[in-house]
Amino acid sequence: MKQRITYVLPEGSRVESSDVKVDKDSLKFDRADEAAKEWRLTLALNDLPDEVREGCSWAVEHLANRSRCKQYSAIVMSFTVPLCDLLRKLLGVTAKCHSIQESFSSTPKIPERLAITTTWQYFQYAPLSSRLGEIFLSKACNTGHPDLDACAFAVRDLQRASYVEFDFEAIGRKLEFTAVWAPQGPKQNRAMARRATRMIRRPKTGERTEVGTLQVEKATEAEELSLGGFLTVIGEDDHPSKTLFSFPSRHHTLPGSSPVTFAASFQQPTGLHPKFQIKLPRQQLTPPKDTCGLHAYWTLPSALFIDRYQLSDPLFLASQNLVALHSLSGEQDLEAPNWVIEQWGSAALFELGAPPSSQIGSSTQKSDWIITIPTHLRYLAGPQKPTDTSGHASVDVPWPIVFWACEAEEGLEMSNNPFDRVDLGYDRLFGPQTTFYHIPPAPKVNTTVEEIKVPVLDSEKAEWVRAGTLIAVVAGFAWICWQLLRATSGQNFKAQKQKRK
Amino acid sequence: MSMLSSFFSSPWLVFGAAILFRLALLIYGRWQDANSPIKYTDIDYLVFTDAARFVARGQSPYDRATYRYTPLLAWILIPTTWDTEAIPNHIWFDFGKVLFAAGDIATGWLIMRILVKRKDMSVQQALKYAGLWLLNPMVANISTRGSSEGLLAVLVVALVWAVLEGRIRVAGMLLGLGVHFKIYPFIYAASIWWWLGSDPVSDGADALTKTKAMFTKERTALAMHSFMTFMALNCVMYSFYGVPFIEHSYRYHFTRIDHRHNFSVYNTVLHLNSAHSADSSFKVESLAFVPQLFLSVGVIPFLLAKKDLASTMLAQTFAFVTFNKVCTSQYFLWYMVFLPFYLPLSSMLRNSRLGLTALVLWVLGQALWLQQGFELEFNGRSTFVPGLWLASMLFFGINCWILGVIVKDVGSQAGFERTIAAPEHKKDR
Repeated sequence: MKQRITYVLPEGSRVESSDVKVDKDSLKFDRADEAAKEWRLTLALNDLPDEVREGCSWAVEHLANRSRCKQYSAIVMSFTVPLCDLLRKLLGVTAKCHSIQESFSSTPKIPERLAITTTWQYFQYAPLSSRLGEIFLSKACNTGHPDLDACAFAVRDLQRASYVEFDFEAIGRKLEFTAVWAPQGPKQNRAMARRATRMIRRPKTGERTEVGTLQVEKATEAEELSLGGFLTVIGEDDHPSKTLFSFPSRHHTLPGSSPVTFAASFQQPTGLHPKFQIKLPRQQLTPPKDTCGLHAYWTLPSALFIDRYQLSDPLFLASQNLVALHSLSGEQDLEAPNWVIEQWGSAALFELGAPPSSQIGSSTQKSDWIITIPTHLRYLAGPQKPTDTSGHASVDVPWPIVFWACEAEEGLEMSNNPFDRVDLGYDRLFGPQTTFYHIPPAPKVNTTVEEIKVPVLDSEKAEWVRAGTLIAVVAGFAWICWQLLRATSGQNFKAQKQKRK
Repeated sequence: MSMLSSFFSSPWLVFGAAILFRLALLIYGRWQDANSPIKYTDIDYLVFTDAARFVARGQSPYDRATYRYTPLLAWILIPTTWDTEAIPNHIWFDFGKVLFAAGDIATGWLIMRILVKRKDMSVQQALKYAGLWLLNPMVANISTRGSSEGLLAVLVVALVWAVLEGRIRVAGMLLGLGVHFKIYPFIYAASIWWWLGSDPVSDGADALTKTKAMFTKERTALAMHSFMTFMALNCVMYSFYGVPFIEHSYRYHFTRIDHRHNFSVYNTVLHLNSAHSADSSFKVESLAFVPQLFLSVGVIPFLLAKKDLASTMLAQTFAFVTFNKVCTSQYFLWYMVFLPFYLPLSSMLRNSRLGLTALVLWVLGQALWLQQGFELEFNGRSTFVPGLWLASMLFFGINCWILGVIVKDVGSQAGFERTIAAPEHKKDR
């Protein structure tokens, strides 16, 4: 097991050597509450908690066999059961996951990428379950650990993480677990702040624990990030070593001090065809470079869907301030109700229209630039709780990610980045030499999830409907038969006699 | 009124007006498509033309999602993919709409011929009734938007014409083609069968003779030709496209249950049963065809076919659509094509108050339903129950009442159409 912990202070701050106190087998960083933190744990297969190991063992066995076995589909089938169980344990009960074949969607391959394997994708809006922390608690903080309390706190702190990533490498038989926390900010109460500065101790088993206490520096090359500060390997170093390094990065924030953010909402009332609006400030919407396109990547739950045929007409797209729907994967059935859909939903990559350059600098156009994405709702089953008689169910839809995608400078080796993140869902849809400049959301009420109220058929009134329909059909049928017989009965005999004559 | 009378006395004027009307709509449709994000062209037309493009490239039309029709339709629309010097592709693209509109005109012409020749009407009178179809804005709109219902109308009216002319083998082939195209024309087999009549038998004949008399030369010819045409078309299509052809062209239509709201009286129950499959005790899906087929293939053709074939077909189709599990406004065209044949003997025309009431109620029933549908789709109000359900029940009731009037009118006709209108058939017997 290897650990790598990185603290990063924002640009402008400076880590002093006095902030980092190194001991024989521990380290204390005084400014931990101001810093963003990344915790990376590399575990061999045997070090994994039992629940996780089961799922990963299957993966190793079957991915290794794939080169020998010609039937690809058979392998995926046997891979499915443990993975969904694993997800259910980690994500909680509501996961709509039965098997990879049924519940996952496969992301489309683009020509520039020579990927041989298909990537499978699954997305669900769900709070990070505390189970995740508990599972790792047992392994990372074993009885040999010198400071169980601190370790336990660190693991439970996973609830607060901005994101958590599992990266399983079948060939090396190891799992890389990464968790990242945003800086705590001044609002945190003192107790929390104090606990965060607690020491990081090296586990008794003596695994390598590397701690970086860094600040952001101004990068010299374009599209690179630069970090400076101190690196320490607990147990091996008796004082922190100064360091300064740069590396190319795929993902960036917008350059300059422009506070561009986007807001998103559904047009009310939503009806069965909700129109999603992304609002951007018209004046500051300049691309960071010439080769950039403004994009949005949106994952939709299965209750909502996008009609790709509707979005293939250029006139229509222009009227919504869209340029194109570049990719749509997942469940795209236009007619099926939600209760027969087995996949988790769909993911779409849009290229958004930007306001004409004449409008960007001018002060006359003060209004927001609004981009509209038309969506449609599938029929939902009625609410589960019998007390909810409003006739509506609710669906949570997360905001999309909005970014400028630009061609990277030539010759940049993106994998040199020690904090590199790949396979985020949308990055595979672009060429390998692409940089992303993210536009952050400006959430109202501190949330980036929209809730839609969807009209549903209440099963409370079922009895009336069934009985009423039956009566109506029988009555209508009887009326018609009666009219028929009345009109033809007297005449039938006479007419037949006439015919025979 | 005399201007109206002189208008209807000239076939050139009436047909000319119908053609100009459709031409104007086609041109307007092109303008709207080019200039507005809301398109005039029907979504179905885009499905057809996409499928035609696949076929033109040698692929299967079923590669196009939601293409649930016979490959024949994609085949005949191949010209929409052409691109020549003289006529660029964006003009060829409208070929299908032109074809469907031409089908309307052909239908109108056939209606006129039948009324003049078989019902002893004057040209002027016949044109008035045919005008119900030719100058009907709903019909013209549907065809010029690219919906293929117009083609069925030609087939069905040609079927009536063939039977009344005594060309039973042609009728059989048209019937086979019609069933291959849209399945529902199989109901006309029943009315034509009874209309053709059985061979005369003496009163004292035994059961065997009576049974043999039921299978006349004409009836056998009808059955054989329709079956052979139907199977020949199926074999050809299957050999080209295999199982997807069976799946999309036939199986889909039998197993589909459109939850999305439509006029059908069963719609709410089907929605309920599907969403809450645990509590469904009443198997609506399997029982709904009982009243539908009992009426449309059973009693209506048996009792009414001999009186008037085309009016019976109207009653059959009306019953079929009204009692169907799915009902959309395109289906109304299926029975509207028979109106010019039924109205001359209808009490709704003789008693204009009755006729007007029927028309107003029929339109009102749809309007009420559409209003509830609008509230659901655009304002997000849960109008499933009671709104949409009651509106569909009301519309169902209105349709049953109208059907009652139709069957009463046809049933009260004296004598048989065949013996009165076509004495030459008597000679053949």
